Amino acid sequence: MAIKRRNKRAVKLDDSIRTNQVSNNSIQFRVLNENQCERLYNAVLEVMENVGMQIHHKGAVELLRNAGCWVEDDGITVKIPSHVVKKAIASSPSRIVLSNRNKKRKLFLERNNAYFGPGPTLLNFIDVNTGERRPVVKNDVLNTAKVVDALPNIDFCMSLANISDCTSDLADVHEVHAMLQNTTKPIVTWAFDRDNLDTIIKMFEVVAGGEKELQMNPNVLIYSEPTTPFVHTYEAVDKLLYLAEKGLPQNYTPAVQAGATGPATRAGTVIVGAVDTLAGLVISQLKNPGAPFICGGVITNMDMKTTVMCYGSPEFAVMHAATVDLFKYLNIPTFSTAGCTDSCILDEQVGIDQAITIYTAALSGGNIIHDVGYMDGGMVGSLEALCMGDEIIGEVRSIMRGVRVDDEALGLDVIEKVGPGGHFLNEKHTMDNFRKEFWYPETIERSNYEDWKNSGSLTYRQKLNIRAKKILEEHQPQKLTDDIIEQLDILVEEAEKRCKK
Amino acid sequence: MSELYEQIAESVVNGMADEVENLVQKAINQGMKPKEIINNGLIVGMNEVGELFKNFEMFVPEVLISSQAMNKGMEIVKPLLKEGDVQKAGKAVFATARGDLHDIGKKLVIMMMESSGYEVIDLGVDVKPEEIIQAVKEHNPNIVGMSSMLTTTMPAMKETIELLKENDLYGNLKVMIGGAPVTEKYADEIDASYSNNASAAIELANRLISCMQAV
Ligand code: B12
Repeated sequence: MAIKRRNKRAVKLDDSIRTNQVSNNSIQFRVLNENQCERLYNAVLEVMENVGMQIHHKGAVELLRNAGCWVEDDGITVKIPSHVVKKAIASSPSRIVLSNRNKKRKLFLERNNAYFGPGPTLLNFIDVNTGERRPVVKNDVLNTAKVVDALPNIDFCMSLANISDCTSDLADVHEVHAMLQNTTKPIVTWAFDRDNLDTIIKMFEVVAGGEKELQMNPNVLIYSEPTTPFVHTYEAVDKLLYLAEKGLPQNYTPAVQAGATGPATRAGTVIVGAVDTLAGLVISQLKNPGAPFICGGVITNMDMKTTVMCYGSPEFAVMHAATVDLFKYLNIPTFSTAGCTDSCILDEQVGIDQAITIYTAALSGGNIIHDVGYMDGGMVGSLEALCMGDEIIGEVRSIMRGVRVDDEALGLDVIEKVGPGGHFLNEKHTMDNFRKEFWYPETIERSNYEDWKNSGSLTYRQKLNIRAKKILEEHQPQKLTDDIIEQLDILVEEAEKRCKK
Repeated sequence: MSELYEQIAESVVNGMADEVENLVQKAINQGMKPKEIINNGLIVGMNEVGELFKNFEMFVPEVLISSQAMNKGMEIVKPLLKEGDVQKAGKAVFATARGDLHDIGKKLVIMMMESSGYEVIDLGVDVKPEEIIQAVKEHNPNIVGMSSMLTTTMPAMKETIELLKENDLYGNLKVMIGGAPVTEKYADEIDASYSNNASAAIELANRLISCMQAV
């Protein structure tokens, strides 16, 4: 029998040769252009050099002094000349890769790659079974991790909790203990101080199989926080130095409120936030040049009527985008915020705030975008809100791809074949493309009225609740081995003993 | 009531310092009593500001500008006052609890209290209970205000109140507390009073002061 080979040649992609083509592979968006970024950056350098900052950590002050910074007689106030900042930015890596728990490299924090996940340290939780608002407990973290693990558009895990039913000084440690067990996705988290941080990192090292293993394929990113404007506490800097030394990825996230801890202008507030996060970068690079570092934070405004820190304002959206532009200009991976709201309950406002902030954050391409599922300005978390965010991110992801323009996508052949009065339902071209080109929702309603009624007349909120509960019932996150779990338990016990002393 | 008083009150509400200054001077020139200029003009304006802010009809910076306008007027009247003509609303010592660094909320409450005529001594952030006791001994305030934004720092407020009691200071003053994780219930448990925002804090302070005067 003569076998005929089908794939003799390389595929000819286009019928005509088109030279010098430039096409958009995604939607285009920018808040600040090059020139504006440069102006903002120079302003940031000016503030660092002229206004300076308080650094309540002797070790860090010495590092800065030796690098050529000016330290005032109080031993705390430090002014950082521009050349020191520039050198630090130059040694800071332009890309960081986060792996999952199985060391698969997953999140490429570089250029405009945007990844979404929940936020940390909420006081309360909306109970998925009763709908009641109550203090957040460790079990909520287990549930959050499980839901994160299952949701297709959530890329990393945060706890949505500041656990109330454990030793309060170890809430951070217990969060990690819970998260590591219920998700393989990378974890973004925090610590009260160096001791707790050490316990937390040991937990990750146990899971990774060693210190070097974790460094090579980190599934953790830790944030600490400056006290905006321009104050760096001992604990914050101490954690920062610890992580720099360890060579583990970290971010240093200011929470700036325009009009209160920042000026009442967008540019001014972006500058204040950038100064605070860059100060962290400088210290980290002085400690260990090349230490992975991410810049950005929560950049928003204070509502001047209610005095809350806004988690869902237009200024929030645009100032985060501008901050991302600025750090991209400096070639530093970025941290941003979206998917959150000031609404106190799960209502229409959650949808509005999430949609606008997620859409803007995705457009601007921040690398680690956190706080999906945050409600009430950072006071309460909800699995339903997290599921809503997942759906919105999915939809936004589809928009971001823009419109593919090539021969197949133009579809001239199939259009000709179907011709006037025909239809495309039956065509191979349709089969080949509809899954790739169209997005399909999990909870968004698209049935007609009769069908919707017959399937239970569910509201969107009910559907989110059903989705969350279904995941909790059915999803089986990959388990850690008993041996590793035992080692994690021991680390928590040791921390408990240390705290009792 | 004189039209001039009304104009003064209106200028305070609109935050027009220069106008307040002119009008107050005019009132003095016309022989109006300093005490009445304050009570029927400046304070009336500032009370309206408080009301507007509480109803979310006024913005924080506007409140502060109004308060500056009022103070401009006060500066002119003050030297003319007789002993006992006006009293300070009260004196307060404020602090963010030990271990806690959140301070914007507390600063806001303090500014609002100052706008309402309180003298406030701010001890800063991360203030130890002993330091608060020390300050109370030194300043002898009517009110101690404490802010805590972390569940881990709330116990420091309890500790402070216990120390106030041990030092026989608790009976002479009122304690008010606030901050995101703090609740009415928690305040009750530790023998303090609670309010959830800056304008409610002023009302609370006023209530506490009048309670003390009634005793
Ligand atoms: C901004 C912020 C910060 C800033 C603070 C900067 C600064 N200069 O203040 C920074 C980044 C430094 C910070 C750090 C931390 N934070 Co913080 N932070 C916040 C955030 C987002 C907003 C607070 C704020 O400024 N609100 C605006 C002001 C105007 O409102 P307010 O403070 O509530 O004050 C009003 C009322 O409460 C009341 N009030 C306040 N004080 C008083 C006092 C009296 C007497 C009265 C009557 C009334 C009153 O009136 C005020 C005006 O209306 C809150 C979340 C939230 N929504 O509250 C978290 C929050 C308070 N932080 C939290 C945490 C966990 C931390 C950290 C531990 C995190 C970390 N990784 O290290 C550290 C702790 C540092 C420390 N030792 O204190 C958690 C607390 C959870 C818990 N269970 O305790 C919160 C709730 C978490 C969150 N979801 O983000 N934080």
